Amino acid sequence: MTNLSRRSFLKTSTAAATLTIALSNTPHLIAQATQGGHVTPCLRVDESGNITVCVPIPDMGQGMITTAAQMIAEELSVNLDDVNVELMPFIGHTNDQGRAEFGRFYQGAGGSGSTARIWYEMRRTAAYAKTLLLETAARQWRVPRASLEARNGEIIETYGTRKASYAAFVSDANGKAHEIFTNGVETKPVSKFRVIGKDQRNVEARKIVTGDPIFGLDADVPDMLHAVIKRCPYLNGTMVSYDDTAAKAVPGVRGTMAISRSSSDGAQRTIAAGVAVIADSLWQAKKAAELLDIQWDGSISVDDSSTTIHSKCIAQTKDGSSVRTAVQTGDIDAAFEQATNTIDVTYDHPTWAHTCLEPHSCIAHVDNDKVEIWVSHQFMDSAINAAAGALNISADNVKANFYRMGTGFGRKAEGDFVIEACIIAKEFDAPIKVTWSREDEMEQDYPNHMGAYRVRAATDEQGKLSAWHIRTALDTGNSTIARLFPSDNAPNVLAEGARIPNNISRGAWRGPSHNTGAWVIQSALSEAAYSAGLDPLDFMTALYNDAGTLKSPTWPYHDVDYRRHSILLRKAAKEAGYGKEMPDGWGQGIAVHHTFVSACAHVVDLEMIGDNDYRVHKVTSAIDCGLAVNPLGIRAQVESGIMDGLCAAKYGKLVFEAGVPITNNFDTYQKMRIDEAPPIVNIHIMDFGDTEPRGTGEVSLPPIIPALTNAIFAASGKRIRSLPISENL
Amino acid sequence: MAISFTINGARRSFNGDEEMPLLWHLREEAGLKGTKFGCGIGQCGACTVHLDGDAVRSCSVPMSSLDGASITTIEGLAEGDDLHPVQEAWIEEDVPQCGYCQAGQIMATVAFLKDTPNPTDDDINNGITNLCRCGTYYRIRKAIKRAAENMQTA
Ligand code: FES
Ligand code: FES
Repeated sequence: MTNLSRRSFLKTSTAAATLTIALSNTPHLIAQATQGGHVTPCLRVDESGNITVCVPIPDMGQGMITTAAQMIAEELSVNLDDVNVELMPFIGHTNDQGRAEFGRFYQGAGGSGSTARIWYEMRRTAAYAKTLLLETAARQWRVPRASLEARNGEIIETYGTRKASYAAFVSDANGKAHEIFTNGVETKPVSKFRVIGKDQRNVEARKIVTGDPIFGLDADVPDMLHAVIKRCPYLNGTMVSYDDTAAKAVPGVRGTMAISRSSSDGAQRTIAAGVAVIADSLWQAKKAAELLDIQWDGSISVDDSSTTIHSKCIAQTKDGSSVRTAVQTGDIDAAFEQATNTIDVTYDHPTWAHTCLEPHSCIAHVDNDKVEIWVSHQFMDSAINAAAGALNISADNVKANFYRMGTGFGRKAEGDFVIEACIIAKEFDAPIKVTWSREDEMEQDYPNHMGAYRVRAATDEQGKLSAWHIRTALDTGNSTIARLFPSDNAPNVLAEGARIPNNISRGAWRGPSHNTGAWVIQSALSEAAYSAGLDPLDFMTALYNDAGTLKSPTWPYHDVDYRRHSILLRKAAKEAGYGKEMPDGWGQGIAVHHTFVSACAHVVDLEMIGDNDYRVHKVTSAIDCGLAVNPLGIRAQVESGIMDGLCAAKYGKLVFEAGVPITNNFDTYQKMRIDEAPPIVNIHIMDFGDTEPRGTGEVSLPPIIPALTNAIFAASGKRIRSLPISENL
Repeated sequence: MAISFTINGARRSFNGDEEMPLLWHLREEAGLKGTKFGCGIGQCGACTVHLDGDAVRSCSVPMSSLDGASITTIEGLAEGDDLHPVQEAWIEEDVPQCGYCQAGQIMATVAFLKDTPNPTDDDINNGITNLCRCGTYYRIRKAIKRAAENMQTA
């Protein structure tokens, strides 16, 4: 092992070499510090009068930057075609423990709740900004406030001739009012909306189609060095020793640095063990990293192979030796004894990788007890706290610049890529950019859960569900799936779950738990319907009509009115012509599911291609997501969830062999392309008269998988009970 | 011997490691960040650029092969403020979600439409193989058709 006294070596070597970085066009930062020209945090006007609308929540493709901009434009009376839109910096605060907390604006992307979480504050704050501008104009022009109106970024004298851009009033209005309003400011009633509820295209589309450097991976800062980390391939493994002689001989290399795994006890991984190579250019760092000779210790996870974990899950669904009860109501044994029809079926699925198309990266510049970071991240507070924690400093001393994400899916909510950049940057006098490869992104993923499920369902002589027994065996400890409908509802229920421990560190994957839970439950309900001699649509609409309302504990999560599920099912069925005559080898499948905030139903029309493949020709969807702020964006998210679900169900399979993830790029981890994407997607956004939006980003994914497998059953008579479909049809 | 070529019409020469793929030169040396890294092994198409008019995956094109080449990236597609019809169609159909794959999708489509100006669904299925992790395929298909139509009437 040639690990020199780290700090002294690195600092010396940095000082000795000259900087020869070819700096690219440094991109302008999306989020500038809140400063001059601001009227409330949501409006900034520069000296030449250009208006910028500032939104609080990062965008990863879910369209928040556009949706939030619509809320501001509505109340501030600006035309989104005429203004810039950018991401606000973090405007929360530091708590007593020195950690960042959201202020009045939620500044994270997760749980499909962002739109709902800023719905009131965002509009009130924009409305307040407009009030300030109107009042300032009235004062300057010495006219009554009521004689003025705000329109398209200008203050106009309603019956006069005067008009001027907002810019004319900003310096007077500025400073008074850097406030966010939770109450006391009047916003427009739904009936007066002109921007909210209308289709709005992605406000960053032009930047995207012209290749503007707006993503985290595009960020460069002057004088930065590049780090590439060789991370331990074994789950929770450690580094024994390394030889960096060859790596250091590569021109441009400034040093190497060992990084220890944490947590060190084999619990959920915070960062992986690894060796970083720091060089002038990314290419040099990458080449040199390949030359590192590293001895790993992977003994902790040698027993963690996908096949082994899978067998353990299946065994647990059979004997239930380590299950814990999550829900128990009525008398399940009696109900099964009295049942007219029953099913007893087992489902299983592998784990899925996130495959964020933009691999992770972070730049960190440490200056004594302060750090500045440049990163694309789902949660501003978590990113800041990851940096603060890594350096043991207060969040007050972290300056964070946030960028657009090239997808997130839950993976960009983690802290590892920020922490690594900070601990390396601490040892250098220059900003350090850590860039992940695709292999890094997949090997060091926090993937979806893997599991098996046994479902027993009973129906009575009327064909109604009379008992529900679900036993989950997952490699997470959580009981969400066991508790999902109809466990909250059926007359006799036993819901139980076992945890299958292993060294995989799991994380949130779009629609956590729901993403596979919906498949298991909606498939089993469909099987129960057939066993009772009923069509799944009739069985399910009756089931949901009888189900009443599920109380939701916390805003922005609303009570779930299950009658709406029936309406969604009927709408999707009607629009799809569900039940119509189809040629041989064609079939339709239907499913519905509520994910966190909102519910969605799909009908899949597909055609079998031989015995082992199929093409989805059409998807028809009905979504209930409350008040629709941006119908065009909602449809984009529904389309996205459909593709993501179809793809994960058919191909998703992250494989581990003796503790090593071996499917680490798109050659071994297959993804759907345009040729397998349904050419017709008809989406119906339901209007139940809600006056609040609910959320969309994850909602359409969970029900598409059972709609697909139900359609495969209708077309071929084959019931898919194991994923991925490509290996089980 | 320096390797010389043009990027978006500007002459450049290169003296470094000839094994380095073009993608690294574009992003790290030429300051052109519009071309994206997605896989590094020619599978995803995020890095698609034009090499002498043909679509190539720049992560798999070594610098050694570029002497005399003419390269166009997403930054060189528009004529000043006038977007290419494919870029226009992408905006009109509201294709981009996260947007990360879209430079590659657009570059692939521009080259594809040169050979197949009036594509059928099957042509699109066979001719466009770029990965979109956001699943914008439904809108990409519509945008390709719209662009094709606009280019024929132009
Ligand atoms: S980065 Fe070149 S094809 Fe994926
Ligand atoms: S738009 Fe996000 S990967 Fe294609």
